[in-house]
Amino acid sequence: MSTVGETSNVLHPLVEKYLRKERMPHMACSGCGIGQVVHSVLLAIDELGLTPKDTVWVQGVGCSSRITYSTWVGDNVDAHHGRMFAVATGLKMARPDMNFICFTGDGDCGAIGGNHFIHACRRNLDVTAILFNNGIYGMTGGQVAPTSPVGAVTTTTPYGNIEDPFDMCQMAVAAGASYVARWRVTDFKALTNSLKKGIQTKGLAFIEVLLQCPTNFGRYVLKTSNPQDVLKWIKDHSVSQKEAEKLSKEELAGKYLIGEFVHRPERTGIVERYQEFLKTYQKY
Amino acid sequence: MPSGVIPGKYFVQGDEAIAEGAIAAGCRFFAGYPITPSSETSETMARRLPEVGGVCLQMEDELASIHAVGAASVGGLKALTISSGPGISLKLEGLGWGIKNEIPYVVADVQRAGPSNGVATRVGQGDFYTIRYGSAGGNHSIIALSPKSTQEAFDLTIDCFNLSEIFRCPVFLLTDETVGHTRELLVIPEEDELKVVKRFKPTVPPEKFVMYPLDTPGVINYPFPNIGEGYGICVSPYTHNSKGYASTAQDIQEKMARRLVLKVTENLDKLVRVESQKMEDAEFAVIAYGGNARPAVAAVDMAREQGMKVGFFRPIIVWPFPDAEVLKVAEKVKNILVCELNIDGQLSREVARASKGKAEVFHFGSGGVEPHLPAQISNEIRRLYK
Repeated sequence: MSTVGETSNVLHPLVEKYLRKERMPHMACSGCGIGQVVHSVLLAIDELGLTPKDTVWVQGVGCSSRITYSTWVGDNVDAHHGRMFAVATGLKMARPDMNFICFTGDGDCGAIGGNHFIHACRRNLDVTAILFNNGIYGMTGGQVAPTSPVGAVTTTTPYGNIEDPFDMCQMAVAAGASYVARWRVTDFKALTNSLKKGIQTKGLAFIEVLLQCPTNFGRYVLKTSNPQDVLKWIKDHSVSQKEAEKLSKEELAGKYLIGEFVHRPERTGIVERYQEFLKTYQKY
Repeated sequence: MPSGVIPGKYFVQGDEAIAEGAIAAGCRFFAGYPITPSSETSETMARRLPEVGGVCLQMEDELASIHAVGAASVGGLKALTISSGPGISLKLEGLGWGIKNEIPYVVADVQRAGPSNGVATRVGQGDFYTIRYGSAGGNHSIIALSPKSTQEAFDLTIDCFNLSEIFRCPVFLLTDETVGHTRELLVIPEEDELKVVKRFKPTVPPEKFVMYPLDTPGVINYPFPNIGEGYGICVSPYTHNSKGYASTAQDIQEKMARRLVLKVTENLDKLVRVESQKMEDAEFAVIAYGGNARPAVAAVDMAREQGMKVGFFRPIIVWPFPDAEVLKVAEKVKNILVCELNIDGQLSREVARASKGKAEVFHFGSGGVEPHLPAQISNEIRRLYK
């Protein structure tokens, strides 16, 4: 038994099975929600029977990626900042038989990699992408993100953020992804099931997770270092789609909708279409 | 894998020859973004790659195309991307990822007149240093070959692919609009006459394989296991140890940087590719590369007819710069005239450095749009010839 302040040598069985022990402990700050999301991902992988031989982890740059990259016991491909979807496109087209679990953050996906994100959705690339949305740039020290709420005080918006945030899920739906959903990090079961569904869906599965960053979002936006306060803020600012039906437009302002937005497994994507296309045009 | 080589004689542009060379070299992935004067390569790949079961994608931008190309190579496909000036500026962002992770692929740069958008449809030679030093952070070598004709565009593209596998790095084909758009004879030989280097594969089990040989920095012909082959590879943008794990340690940074430089500089003997004409008795040398070598050769012939002892020298490999061969030229002649399509002096600066003061080096530049005319160069030779 370890006590508070000591590092436990006991690893979770899923970590033992799927992650590189020499890469543990990971570099997440205390109270960060990324570990909880990785737990869901590993559970989904385990329950679906994916293996290190047939599955690759792909990352961009930021907390989502720096914490998860080179941890999977199989192959790990970590891209430049924002280029995760471009790299995933090259990988998946080269190896359409393999599964790609892709990790990105709100800065990586919504800002510097926004163009690659919408085009991957348009192509409906058959990969599973998990967006870790903490509403701020964590790795670089609390700068405003394209997902930060209006009014948020950050290190680069000392007088409050005047820009509206992106709704990344609505973008993914509009651009054509097969499966789009958003969960809170605390929706453990729903998130795990959604990941399983996403991995099994042909085409792009885009799953956004709202998670707590006490170190930066807590410190600068909410003036707290307590992860529970950030989780409470997420709870207070999110509402299920069903609950949302009963609320007025004013009551919904500034709230994240939670749930599955689209599931269209019938929509084909570039991987399938390219293989079909080769049947006609391959000569040699 | 089907070779897809189509032996025969063709009347095509240099840009098309690049595509055929790539396919002959085993390239099965292309990603690009339309840009003049390189688009004919993209168009040829879009028609030809599906025929050989390859993947051809037009991406959303230059960044996506170079990253997809690097990733496809990690996935096991030989890969090509192509661009010109403004697109090359963007591609440099992705180049570092390929360099650092030692990913074999080829980037062709069909130079046009710059800076910025410049003159999209007309020739320039301003990217000589861009491709060498443009990827921020330094600590790496670059290999770049430059063709002067349609035939060489084909031959050197195969050479670029081979060198990318041998040295485990991105390799440039530094061409220009003159070569890219010149329509002339291309002879594609029979498949068994082509020398094609396949990707080197590990011969030891995963637990014994070292992904990044930081302790033997000069090693070449080194295996690159792809995803799905059971080697559990790690590719990332960060300074890495021999397994690919990020490190902030000074000794790891030092070893990785040395690996990325020394694998090229310790094997320069395998990289000499130069052309000399009429240098035996020369007292004056003209140096040019790429498409601008063509008027330079004609000017040397004109000067010879006028009784001047002038020779011609061309670096076919422009990076690493053939210092030793240029020094031999400088030791032989009094003056060297470097003809290139930029005003700032790029090739001439390297020639001056490599000459070590053994000959006087003159820069004869033009901003581009038109290549030099033979008469312009021969007039300059006559003016300087003593």
